[in-house]
Amino acid sequence: MNPQTHVRYEAALKVTGQARYEGEVMPPGMLHAALVESPVACGEVLSVDAARAETVPGFATIVTRADSESLRPSGATALIREKAIHFHGQPVALVAASTGSQAREAARAVHVATRVQPAVTHLDQAAGAAFAPAAVGRFPAASRRGDPSRALSEAELIVRNRYTTDVNNHHPMEPHAVVCWWEDHRAVVHTSTQAVFATRASIAHAFDMPAGDIRVLSRFLGGGFGCKGQLWWPWMFWAMLASRKAGRPVRLELSRAQMFTLVGRRQATTQDLSLGFVDGRLTAIEHDVVAQTSTHADFSDSTAVYTRLLYACPNVSTAHKLVRTNEPHPVPMRAPGTAPGTFALESAMDEAAGQLGIDPLELRMRNFAAHDQESGRPWSSNRLLECYRVGAERFGWARRHERAKSKVGRWTVGFGMATTLYPAIRQACKARVRLSLDGSLVVQCGTQDMGSGTYTALGQIAADALGIPMAKVTVELGDTWLPDGPFSGGSQVTASIFPAVEAATSKLRAMLANLAVGDPGAPLGGRRPQEIEFRDEMVRGRSSNVAERLVDLLARGPADGLAAEGECAATDHQALAATGMGYGAIFVEIGVDAELGEIRVRRVCGTFAAGRILNPLLARSQFIGGLIGGIGMALHEQTVTDRATGCILGKSFTDYLIPVHADMPEFDIAMIEEDDPHLPGGVKGIGMLGTAGIQAGIANALHDAIGRRVRHLPIRIEDCLASAY
Amino acid sequence: MSGPSFRYIRAARLDDALSQGARQGATYLAGGADLLPLWKAGLAAPTEVIDISRLPLSQVSYAGDALAVGALARLSDVSAHPVVKRHHPMIAEAILASASGQVRNLATIGGNLLQRTRCTYFRTDGLACNKRDPGSGCGARRGESRHAALFGGSVGCVATHASDLAVALAALDAEISCRGLTGERRLALQDLYPLPGATTAPDTSLADGEMITAVHIDGAARFAAQSTYLKVRDRASFEFAVVSVAAALRIERGVIAEARLAAGGVAPLPWRLGRSEAALIGRAPTGEAFALAGELAVEGATPLAGNAFKVPLLHNAVIRALQTVGEGS
Ligand SMILES: Cc1cc2nc3c(=O)[nH]c(=O)nc-3n(C[C@H](O)[C@H](O)[C@H](O)COP(=O)(O)OP(=O)(O)OC[C@H]3O[C@@H](n4cnc5c(N)ncnc54)[C@H](O)[C@@H]3O)c2cc1C
Ligand code: SF4
Repeated sequence: MNPQTHVRYEAALKVTGQARYEGEVMPPGMLHAALVESPVACGEVLSVDAARAETVPGFATIVTRADSESLRPSGATALIREKAIHFHGQPVALVAASTGSQAREAARAVHVATRVQPAVTHLDQAAGAAFAPAAVGRFPAASRRGDPSRALSEAELIVRNRYTTDVNNHHPMEPHAVVCWWEDHRAVVHTSTQAVFATRASIAHAFDMPAGDIRVLSRFLGGGFGCKGQLWWPWMFWAMLASRKAGRPVRLELSRAQMFTLVGRRQATTQDLSLGFVDGRLTAIEHDVVAQTSTHADFSDSTAVYTRLLYACPNVSTAHKLVRTNEPHPVPMRAPGTAPGTFALESAMDEAAGQLGIDPLELRMRNFAAHDQESGRPWSSNRLLECYRVGAERFGWARRHERAKSKVGRWTVGFGMATTLYPAIRQACKARVRLSLDGSLVVQCGTQDMGSGTYTALGQIAADALGIPMAKVTVELGDTWLPDGPFSGGSQVTASIFPAVEAATSKLRAMLANLAVGDPGAPLGGRRPQEIEFRDEMVRGRSSNVAERLVDLLARGPADGLAAEGECAATDHQALAATGMGYGAIFVEIGVDAELGEIRVRRVCGTFAAGRILNPLLARSQFIGGLIGGIGMALHEQTVTDRATGCILGKSFTDYLIPVHADMPEFDIAMIEEDDPHLPGGVKGIGMLGTAGIQAGIANALHDAIGRRVRHLPIRIEDCLASAY
Repeated sequence: MSGPSFRYIRAARLDDALSQGARQGATYLAGGADLLPLWKAGLAAPTEVIDISRLPLSQVSYAGDALAVGALARLSDVSAHPVVKRHHPMIAEAILASASGQVRNLATIGGNLLQRTRCTYFRTDGLACNKRDPGSGCGARRGESRHAALFGGSVGCVATHASDLAVALAALDAEISCRGLTGERRLALQDLYPLPGATTAPDTSLADGEMITAVHIDGAARFAAQSTYLKVRDRASFEFAVVSVAAALRIERGVIAEARLAAGGVAPLPWRLGRSEAALIGRAPTGEAFALAGELAVEGATPLAGNAFKVPLLHNAVIRALQTVGEGS
């Protein structure tokens, strides 16, 4: 199969407003909900008084901790079952009323009495109480191979620095919303989630009811980036409780300001990193990370995990620690771990290259890891070296010395580069395909499309396998009534659905082939089924011109057409014979006006080796979107907390800066195809790759331009400003 | 999102609006680009909103080097107006550097001058802020102070004024006309903005219900050829100024005859840099003169922890703006 550049399946629906997002579902009699938020960052709720709220016109019901007692205790219900206040803005009640503004007015009228305790509002404040988490994702929190401290003491060059990254928020365009109601004992939950099945399981557990009685739908999502997961569940549960109490459908939608507090964040990190070199080769790495987590749960990104395997190095130790603060809980955010982790590692490699007098690109190539030295396994495939070469060529890295110090207008230009990587993973997935008598195909999988192209990918895989044009394919997603599919995250949806859909379509192909050869009177009658191929809505003999139209063939089959299901299992990481990673090389040109402190990205070349690319058009937009997110993290995005109160400041897009169109550089995206024999279908994830590496690339380019090394993110005016005057 | 309900009145005539606007709890609505976000955030809770956007106060006129811009003219219309572009390009530049195309289509001149500070403490309900809640303290002063003022602040308030337009207007000695129930008055733009006191800081010197009707710039077209508006920010567009400088020079026979300099993002009002201006007069437009102007511009600055970088930034921005203006002379 050749890569196909199918345009987005749902493009027309989206641009004409016909794609219905779940928050737009409007059942009759629906109530609107609003949250009452804690005005303090730490303490206890003593009482919630709704007397005044009840007099607001349209008031219907209020849900508080008392109502949550009917829910089963778990991590997902702790915040709504317990008295403790963990962060500023934590909801302490939900009010439902006839209209949205009535609900908000009633919410404002609720009186909350609290007992206030001193809050920890910054990482530094509790640095002494750092502790090691049980694990970081699916990896151990700490690692050690060889003897890094001895190797450091023997190194010719040691580069030892502290790098810090700030808090970011995900901010998909579509805020979280739920529209839910009860039909007798059954629940219908329309909600923006990256995981309909996990959401269903969470409801089943919390409400102690069979999963079969719950339908969760998420057919269109306006982005997720990691925040449309479990942190949303408590507030969704409250909407469901309100609906049960009022006997009417309830709708809750978060405001943009609430998107800063209620649904997760990229945790702030402090990273101490030491690299030791002998003869231009890494002999030691120590990477210690301290990151923020909330006071009610542990979360650690896999920040230093990739330091274990990116480069060849005999002596490596890494460790993750957490510090609890009275701030919102962190969750994975696009390029979790790799974004902050590569910022440190790839900045340090650049610093080392400078001190060694070696071209930064050359230093990376010299230290390329030919296999995964942490696990001792080979790579499933790894064309990182080619990414370096191709990227350098396309970008013009060789002109670094002639160009780097040059000026374009007021801008001093600098070049920088860095590596990005992300593991290839897969989850369990089922898919169903149904071919009707008219030759149209329906593909079904319960997984949801975050906006990243799952509709298109699913339809395309099935359409191509059966030789049917996309125009005749209907894709159904985002509904727990459909076959079980993966959550959208970790860049693994395409890799998971691909084998499942392939399995389903190959069953269907076998049925069709048998039908084609089974009737001696038919054009292909009597041939061997293996000889049959599927193209242009026909079945054909591989070695002849004989063909039969699919519709004619189907007419001879069952009256309701043909259907098949396929399935694939999740990656069993322990059992893998090879480590699957996607890689990329990011080359960046920045301009900096040091007198005014302004820095702008002028040009980015991203070269990626991420297995087989199913749809270059979608892949390109994923890479570019990823890079833009990375530029935001490098130069703009910063969630600012008032240390005195723990309140997040500037909870709007006016103050929380993200890159705008005028900030967009020229993007050159290249994809190095890989034929990966270890991964089913050869598919690796692509969504995360663009969002890591670029941060260090920018910082390295800034250093190249004006000799200023910035070791924290975001890099802003004050960091670039020529201080002496 | 929405705030508490209010009565909406569309003003039919100026006189009606003035009497409606003088009522307790009433506020004017022009483009709504500032008022509505404040209302949604629970920071403005008018009981009556008098929509003045349809009153006939949006003309731009120019006669005998006197420019008059109606207070209800949209930012986008003013920046595109041929007279403004020709005689006061600095105004057009300042507007085009403001907000986004969509916001500029909505926002009016008067509303822009009266927009409230972007101080994030002011804009977050519940935090200490003397401006919003007199006597509650100043959260910014002891907290996040990146946006705080270098000049003109007090122990009570260190907020900056966010309008770009106001900075350009201040450099050109603009005046505003106001109408209230008791009649009309004209005042210098800078006199619209009182400096903050120890605990409380009214935004403007307008009386209750007083309306801005027009902005005037008299006899300043001579700066058209040598003026600029420089805005420094973290991203390329759609962000308030971290620091901005409006600069204009008139150079006669190789010597600076007149200089106008005002800075934004550094004070509770557009900050005229009088000492820098004075030092430039009579000097050749050289790097040396500009450096002196830069140094004088930051004299007397009282930075806090988070905004100390704005001192060198302002210094450099003044020099850069002067270089831009002085180029070719
Ligand atoms: C996202 C965003 C970005 C922005 N970026 C910038 C920027 O970069 N630079 C910049 O300068 N501005 C910026 N702004 C501010 C914007 O320009 C102002 O909000 C706008 O100009 C206000 O004008 P308006 O007509 O909408 O005023 P309104 O919101 O209608 O009114 C503002 C206030 O003025 C009062 N008022 C309005 N007109 C009169 C009048 N004629 N007489 C008396 N009182 C009156 C109202 O009662 C209200 O209190 C930005 C705004 C937004 C939302
Ligand atoms: S600087 Fe002024 S507006 Fe800001 S918190 Fe202090 S008093 Fe309020």
